Formats: sequence, structure tokens, C-alpha cells
Amino acid sequence: MTEPIIRIENVHFAYNAQSENPIVALTDINLEVMPGEYLVIVGHNGSGKSTLAKHLNALLLPTQGDVWVNGMNTKNGAHTLTIRSTVGMVFQIPDNQIVATVVEEDVAFGPANLGVPEDELRERIDWALDVVDMQNFRHRAPHLLSAGQKQRVAIAGAMALKPQVLILDESTSMLDPAGREEVLSAVRRLNQAGTTIIAITHYMHEAVEGDRIVVMEAARTVTQGSPREVFSQVEELRALQLDVPQVTELSYALHQRDETFPPNLLTVEEIVAEIIRRKELEVAT
Amino acid sequence: MKDTHQAQPFIQVNDLHHVYLRGTPLEVTALKGVTLEIYEGESIGIIGRTGAGKSTIVQHFNGLLRARQPGKVILEGQDMSDPSVKVKAIRQKVGLVFQHPEQQLFERLVGDDIAFGPKRLGLSREERRERVRWAMEMVGLDFERFKDRFTFSLSGGEMRKAAIAGVLALQPKVLILDESTTGVDPRGRKDLLARILELHRHHGMTLIFVSPNMEEVASMVDRVYVIDDGRTAMSGTTREIFDRPDDLRQYGLGVPQVTTIAHQLREHSLPITRTPLTVAEAAEDVWKILNS
Ligand SMILES: Nc1ncnc2c1ncn2[C@@H]1O[C@H](COP(=O)(O)OP(=O)(O)OP(=O)(O)O)[C@@H](O)[C@H]1O
Ligand SMILES: Nc1ncnc2c1ncn2[C@@H]1O[C@H](COP(=O)(O)OP(=O)(O)OP(=O)(O)O)[C@@H](O)[C@H]1O
Ligand SMILES: [Mg+2]
Ligand SMILES: [Mg+2]
Repeated sequence: MTEPIIRIENVHFAYNAQSENPIVALTDINLEVMPGEYLVIVGHNGSGKSTLAKHLNALLLPTQGDVWVNGMNTKNGAHTLTIRSTVGMVFQIPDNQIVATVVEEDVAFGPANLGVPEDELRERIDWALDVVDMQNFRHRAPHLLSAGQKQRVAIAGAMALKPQVLILDESTSMLDPAGREEVLSAVRRLNQAGTTIIAITHYMHEAVEGDRIVVMEAARTVTQGSPREVFSQVEELRALQLDVPQVTELSYALHQRDETFPPNLLTVEEIVAEIIRRKELEVAT
Repeated sequence: MKDTHQAQPFIQVNDLHHVYLRGTPLEVTALKGVTLEIYEGESIGIIGRTGAGKSTIVQHFNGLLRARQPGKVILEGQDMSDPSVKVKAIRQKVGLVFQHPEQQLFERLVGDDIAFGPKRLGLSREERRERVRWAMEMVGLDFERFKDRFTFSLSGGEMRKAAIAGVLALQPKVLILDESTTGVDPRGRKDLLARILELHRHHGMTLIFVSPNMEEVASMVDRVYVIDDGRTAMSGTTREIFDRPDDLRQYGLGVPQVTTIAHQLREHSLPITRTPLTVAEAAEDVWKILNS
């Protein structure tokens, strides 16, 4: 049997744990991620998503419980470097990730630190800049780019690490629709080639990309399942006040007017086909 | 809606150019001819692909960047290239929420940060407190829970909300949101946008809305400008703009999912006449078709 690439066991975490006012950010988290899985994490602001993500590459250590990456406990400092080369992360605020004054050096920083040889380094930078469509900006200063351009550079930097696990913390949030589609399809390709993906997002049409969605609420994981399972709980999602894709919202609105209309369609193709099928049936009878 | 009785637009931009790092080897021409006008009380969307120049444009609206030849920015009748224009007075009227919230927050405590603007407006202690409370309520940050938190220790979305609250606390006549709801969760976004629309509709606040989220743009604004490569590429009512999906795609943009559904149904010869912009509109239109 395959081992999970990430195992989170009874994790509890508080910021300022020693102080009078600790801020509890994770409570009782148990989660396993299998190699090659595409996991999506959704949840409200402050629910603990970024805190959880930072536990996966040893940026934060649990106050209680354990996180294992490829069988290595993140608490064991001897493993930290290996863990960071296994789990690459694109941070929520791309500015915090900029380390160099030239885009291509910024992208090279991570892999160079891991000792990737010069030839391969060149290849990786080229490849990563291509993926995010930033070749023309390779000699520019990263802090003098537009917000979406910075975000692309941050994504390229993490991809150039070629990590086994790629974490994207709201990493497409400032991209235009075409750019978002490009990055998502690049992520999909990486995933098909075996990279484990963990994506945090507020956009439900991105969440449907995943094999599994985990919903966090107030420091806990409250529900999980395939996108169809999760989004078919429209009432529950309403109660949590999470979004559903517009398609699903429309399909639910039509279901409320006519019970025979399916309530949980996920894609434009599905709903268009359903409407046309109904019109054709009507014509036939 | 555009009030055609107003003789003069509140903001008028004519052939605006902008060059960053002018005269250095790193010179970047960000704007190459932007023309637009915004009337008082309107809600305007500015959309365009990454790097198109949106943030550069809106920074001209509160004097952070100044126009120079050949372009012109006229704000309430004042030529912004005139160095004698009082930027301070303009910033009290035109509130700009930056795209990067961390560039907006500079006090240690959340409450102090949001109180900063009202303090400069000369409000009393009591009035300031009320303003802060009101602004935090608007963005959905609990006053008691967050007022004494360190700004740097907020989650990404909480930081966004604090930045927006800081600008709302000025109660500006014109509110510019530069992708400011990015990272705010769906519940918070829905509530926040509804409250902002309320300020726009019932209190006459002019709204300038930059967003990569076409669904949000469609539900928020009356008119849209599309910017591409530093120029005005398209302009029209929101429905007119989203009725041209092929042109939008050419500029790296898209349309709301419900609009795509309507376009595809039309291709199958189903009679969807208007282009729906929201789920409610689409439900109505599809229901009509299913029952005709
Ligand atoms: N401070 C700066 N120095 C140099 N060039 C800059 C600076 N800020 C922006 N630019 C460049 O100017 C152009 C326009 O940038 P701007 O930030 O206005 O784009 P935008 O439309 O807001 O993009 P985004 O959707 O990514 O926020 C881009 O090519 C960008 O790289
Ligand atoms: N450095 C910090 N110090 C103290 N508290 C923090 C710190 N970072 C985050 N928190 C708090 O911990 C909780 C979880 O934060 P986290 O950043 O994990 O949320 P999130 O789910 O990623 O939210 P968002 O959607 O806003 O990014 C929040 O209540 C937040 O205010
Ligand atoms: Mg976060
Ligand atoms: Mg911008």
C-alpha cells in the first residue's frame, strides 16, 4: 500500500502560545494526503488555512501533535531542508517571497540553494518562466512589477523547485481570467505527471479542479469529499455561507422551481446539455 | 447611472501616458493613451489583463501619480498636473484602497490604523471611535476582537478587510477598490459588496471598481472600461461589454459563467434575448425558455 506523502496527526496550534492571549489557529487536525492527490482547502478568513499550509514545510511547528512529510517528522530539525525541498509553497502575499532584485535570479534562488547544477538551473528557469508567461520580464526588478506579474514570478519560483508537493496559497487571486486558466492548466499538467497539489482558494470554480475538497471553519476541518459530494450539500454550504460555482447556484435555483431539474451541476457544459435535453424532450412529445 | 445633466465629469482622463523610472535603463511605459470619464454618482468597472495599467491609472485619481504631457487628468475641474493642486484635500474626497493591503497598514494596532484617517480629518475622540466601529462593521471585522490586534499578525483576508476599513472610515465621496476584495472570503465579500453598493446607491458615493473577477464586476457596476497594454480598448455599459465575449477573450478577460451559459444556449438557437449578468437574471431567463 502507498504511504501518504503528508500525515497530520492531532495537530493543535496557537500563535503566541506562551502568552496570556494565545490565538488558537488549528484545533484537532487530522489529515492525510496521498502522493499525486490534488487537494483543495477552502474556508473563511482566519479559519486556519495558511497556518495549516505553513505546517507542511516546517515553517510552523505544531503546539501539539505531529506532521509527517514522507515519513519525516517536521519537528526534527535535521529533516527541515529535505522537507522544504519536498514541499514547495507559493505564499499568499507574493511580496513576502521576493528575495532577489532581478526576476530570473528570484526564480533561481530556491533551486540554486538546493544545489541544482548550472545547466539544469537554466532549463528550470526557462521552463518556469514559460509556464507563467513571464519570459519577457526576466531581467526586470520583481518589486517593480504589477501585482499579477509578481504573483506569476512567485509561482515560477515554487515550480522551479520541482517539489513533490506544491502548495498554492491563493496564488491565482490576482491573475486575469486567461492567466488564471494558464496557471491552472499548468498545475493540472504537473499533477498528471505525479506532483501532489494542495491549493487554497476562495474561488469555487477552482475548487472543482481538485480530487478532494477540505472545508475549514474556526480552526477545524469541518467537512471533506469530492467536489460533487461537497457542492451537492448546497444547504450545508449555505449554512457555512461558502460560495458555490455560479453554475451550481443556477442549477439549484432551477431545481427549486422544478424538482426534476438536477440541483448540483458543476460545469457550463453540463447545464447547457441539461437545458437543451429538456427542450428537445419537449419538442419530441 | 450616468447623469447626463452633469455638465462636467468628476474625473476626466485624456490621452494619459505614464512612464515609470523615466530616463533610466529600466524605463517602463505603462500608459500609452488612456481616455475615460467618470461622473459623480456612477459605478465604473476598470478591467484588463495583468500589467495592463489599471493600478497606474487609479493612482492618478488621488494624486499619488501626477499626469504630465501629453496626457491630462481633470479632477472636479482641477488640472492635476498643476503643482499647486492640494493633494490633501483630494485624498479626503477620493479614497483609494491599494492592491497590496500591507502597503496601506502602517500603525501597530488595527484600531489605530483605521482611526488614522478620521484623526487627520480632525474628528473628536468620540467621533473617531464611532467611525472606526462603523468601518469595521462594514468590512466584517469584529470591533472588540480585532481593534487591539497587531496589524502584521492578521490573516491575509483580515488584513484586506482592515485596509478597506481604513479608507471607508474617511467616508470618501469617491471610493476606488483596486482588486481590494481579493482574499476576502465569499461570505465576507458578499456582505461587503452589498454594503458598498448601498453606499453607492443610497448615499451617492461614486464607485470605481478594479477586479479580476468578472462575476463581481458584472454585479457591481453600470459601465466598464477595458484597458489593454496601457490604452483604453473598450468601453460601454456592463451588459454591452459582457455581450462581446470574443473581444474580451482577446484582452485576456472573460465573462461570468451565467453569461457563457446564455451565449451557448443562443448558439443552440434558444431565444435568450438579453445577456444575463447575475444568477438571478439567468434563472429567470432559463425558466422562461423551459416553459415556453
Ligand atoms: N513601480 C513600478 N516601476 C516600474 N514599472 C512598474 C511599476 N509599477 C508597475 N509597473 C509596470 O507598469 C505596467 C502597468 O502596471 P500596473 O500595476 O498598472 O498594472 P495592472 O493593470 O494594475 O496589473 P495587475 O492586474 O497585475 O495588478 C506593468 O508592465 C508593470 O510591470
Ligand atoms: N502571525 C500571527 N500572529 C498571531 N495571530 C495570527 C498570525 N497569523 C495568523 N493569525 C491568526 O490565526 C488565525 C488563522 O490565520 P490564517 O492565516 O491561518 O487564516 P486563513 O484561513 O489563511 O485566512 P485568510 O483566508 O484570511 O488567508 C486568524 O485568526 C489569524 O488572525
Ligand atoms: Mg491565508
Ligand atoms: Mg494592479
